[in-house]
This record gives sequence, C-alpha cells and structure tokens, in this order.
Amino acid sequence: MIRKKLDAFTLSLATLGGLVLVLPLLALFTKVPWGTLVSRLTNVNAMAAIRLSLWSSLLATLLCIILGVPLAWVLARGNPRIVNLVRPLVLAPIVLPPTVAGMSLLALLGRNGLVGRYIYNATGWSMPFTASAVVFTGVFVGMPFLALVAESTFRHLPSDQQDAAEIDRATPFTMFRLIALPQSRNGIATGALLAWARALGEFGATMMFAGSLPGLTQTWPMQVYFDTDQDMSSAYALSAVMALVAVAVVFSLRKQLRRAFVN
Amino acid sequence: MKHRALSFVTAVVMLSLTVGPSDASVRESGSTTLTVFAASSLAETFTILGREFQAKHPGVRVQFSFLASPTLATQMRAGAPADVFASASIADMKTVEALVPSAVLFASNRVVLATPRVNRFHINKIVDLNKRGVKWIQCAHLVPCGVAADSALASDGRITSKPVSLEPKVSSVVAKLVSGEVDAAIIYHTDYLANKGVLKEVRFKPTEGATTHYPIGVLKSSTQQKLATGFVDVVLSAYGRKVLAEAGFGRAK
Repeated sequence: MIRKKLDAFTLSLATLGGLVLVLPLLALFTKVPWGTLVSRLTNVNAMAAIRLSLWSSLLATLLCIILGVPLAWVLARGNPRIVNLVRPLVLAPIVLPPTVAGMSLLALLGRNGLVGRYIYNATGWSMPFTASAVVFTGVFVGMPFLALVAESTFRHLPSDQQDAAEIDRATPFTMFRLIALPQSRNGIATGALLAWARALGEFGATMMFAGSLPGLTQTWPMQVYFDTDQDMSSAYALSAVMALVAVAVVFSLRKQLRRAFVN
Repeated sequence: MKHRALSFVTAVVMLSLTVGPSDASVRESGSTTLTVFAASSLAETFTILGREFQAKHPGVRVQFSFLASPTLATQMRAGAPADVFASASIADMKTVEALVPSAVLFASNRVVLATPRVNRFHINKIVDLNKRGVKWIQCAHLVPCGVAADSALASDGRITSKPVSLEPKVSSVVAKLVSGEVDAAIIYHTDYLANKGVLKEVRFKPTEGATTHYPIGVLKSSTQQKLATGFVDVVLSAYGRKVLAEAGFGRAK
C-alpha cells in the first residue's frame, strides 16, 4: 500500500474531531480518586450494583444468543419480501431513545400493559420493579445488535459446504446447526459482545421499567447517576471502570473494525 | 455490508453507553429567557406562576427545569446557567449557599401515603404497607421527598416491609402510582391533591421530619438579577401564595 501525504487543513480538522471523541474519556480518568478507588468500588452499594449489572447483562446476552441467532438466520434465509419488512422493526430498538424503550416495555408488561395485565390478573405478579425487568430490558436493547451482526455473518458464509450438504440432503436444521453455526462463531461472538456492552450500559429504560432499588434493580450506571448527587468521587470511580469496559470491548473488536475500513 | 453494519453498530454502542438522563432545559434563542431551576414537586404551580410572570413581563420567556433538588444543585455547582433556584429542602439549598446567598422560605409540604382508588390490597392505614405482596415505592433517600418519607416511616416505627424502588424524583413516583404499576407510594400531599380523582391518601401522624420546607433565591451569577428577583416576587406575592395554597402547599415556616 502506498502512503499518500495529508494536507494540513484536513489533518487539523481530523485531529480536532479525534480530540472531541477522546478527550472526555481521558478527562474522566483524571478525576478518578486512585487512592481510594478500590474501597469505592468494593463498598456495599457499589458492589451490589456491579454484581447486579454483571449477572443481569450476562443473562440478557445468553437470552439474546438463544433468540437472536435463530432470528438472524431467518432474516438471512427467509423470504426477502417479508424479511425486508421485519428487519427494520427488530432493529428499531437500536435507535430508540432509552426513555421510549422504557415506555414501550411498560406498555407491554406493566400491570396495565398489553400483556402484563393478563399476567397480573392471573398471578398477581408483574415484571416492573423486579430483577427480571432489568434482564428483559437488556434483551430488548441488546438483541438487535446481535441479530444485525449475526445476520450479515450468515449472509457472507462461503456457500461450498452448504451446497455439498444440500446435495447430501441435509435437513435445513442440520444445515443451520452443523454448518452455519460453527462457521459463524466469530460473527456471533462479536454480536454477543456488542449486545452485552449495550445491556450492561443501559440506564434510562431500566430505570423506567425496573425502578431503582439497591441490590435488586439498581444497576451500575444507575449507581453512577445517584452518586453524582452525593459522592462525585465514587461516581467517577464507577464511571471510569465502565469506560474501561467500553474501551476493552472496542479494543477486542479492533480486527473486525480494521477490516471494516480496509475492505 | 457486514463491515459497514459493524462500524455502525459499534458507533451506536459507544453512544448508548454514555446516554444519560435529561439535561437542564435548553435555552431558546430570540427573546429574553429566564431560567428557573425548581424541585419537581413544584412543576404544576410554578408553570402557572411562570405564565403570570410572562404576562407581567412581555418578551420574557421562563424556561423551567424540574428535577430532584439535589440533582439541580449538582448541576448548578457544575455551572448550569440558572437564574433562580427553588429547592424542596433547606438542606439542598445549603449545598449551593455560595451560589444563592439569600434564599427565603416560601412554602412547605408534607408526605402522605397514597394508593390508587381501586386497589386489591385495600390499603387504608399506614401499617397496611406490611401486607404480603404489596408493592410500594418512595423517593431515593437523598432527595427531599425521600428524606421526608424516611423520617415519616421512622417515626411511625411499624413498617417492616421495604419499598420495591427508590425513585430519583417525586414525579417519577407519582407517575408510577397513577399508572397503577404499584399499590402504594409515599408522595407529597400536593401530588395527591393533583391526582385526587384516581388516588386516595392516608396521612402519617404529623411530625416535623415528614414536612419539608421550600426556599427560593436568585443566583449570584445571574445576568438578569432584576428579572430573576421579579420571578421570586411573583412566587412570594399574594397571588403566588394563593396558587400554592390551592395546590395544597403549607405556609412557609
């Protein structure tokens, strides 16, 4: 590859653009109370929030995989006319404002919700204010990312093995399970990682749908929000670790990202 | 296709990780704007008083930001451009003493237990909160309505059940109660009155802790001292007192 020279004007705008994106994160780390970092992260409230966020986002990711991979497969292989209508709908949560996501979940599963009202009347149980609401929110906001990435992985699989399997009269399910799935491991993992990061970071929808109770539904991002009113240093400590997670996610996807730019 | 999708997704993930709650209201350009930061329990009354102020000052627009008092105080300490601050507690006004040097009390409020009129648990007294299966909520311990709720519960002394959520501001509590997501909530008497049609209230024994006092003041940094003082005057005026009293606020201490 031949390297071309850059002009100063474009370079300076690009530098500015890069700084706009990088400086806030760097600034965040200058505010971290390093001396008391460990004690701030291990205090009861912070630990409870971190633990809740980790297990609920991991469980949400698992559900995203179980439901989202088949969804992606159907989007990749289904009748194009139907699929082209369905795809925008299942991807919509990606661009939905968190508050609107929260309202939507309440509208469906609240006590007076479309479905929630029947569950509540029959069992006296409703999803809001439970840890399952935290998980469900994570699935709602995370699965579109997994479906998006897994679908495009499925679409770009080499066709030779599938053609061979078809000649051998493999059933569609065998084809999916034994050929497409193993070949798409990396794409599914990428999608799952993005879904996990999204579920872990969700704030607004969770607070609206799951409420906020330390130990039960108060997640890591919510803890940051509440800490800003009483304990800025703890809020910075918790934010910095979350930022590290975000950077780690992007860093671990750097190969996929580089390929995106080079190709 | 795959890679384009991936970079888009990554961009959105990074964005979403940092999405936060609503900012202070954005100023509108054009006419003069007076920015008033007020506790969320003042939303209805201050909106009315804002209209009164605008009628008296043609060409001036009052822009409100109604959030929990500690949240507003945090924003102001971080430099948020407010002209007037009305807090739902003396404690939160104290945290911005340097920015709002001369605040005066203008109203008080007390917390009550409120339930939807139709409720399967038949909550008629405070101890009914202990009934099995009752889902009730209150404000977070730090915001004024939460401080008052904690105090009211502590002085009652009989409640062994725990709230299912500690909400960031009283308006979130009220919204969840009115929409029927919970069986009961500790809210302000004024919130109950504003939703009298769908709620009923159970009062706590009156204690000083269950009452909160509202101070209001002009920010030292405001570039519109005269207008800001004018707004405070409307709140303190006979008309202001009338609007507040009709909404159920108590008199200032």
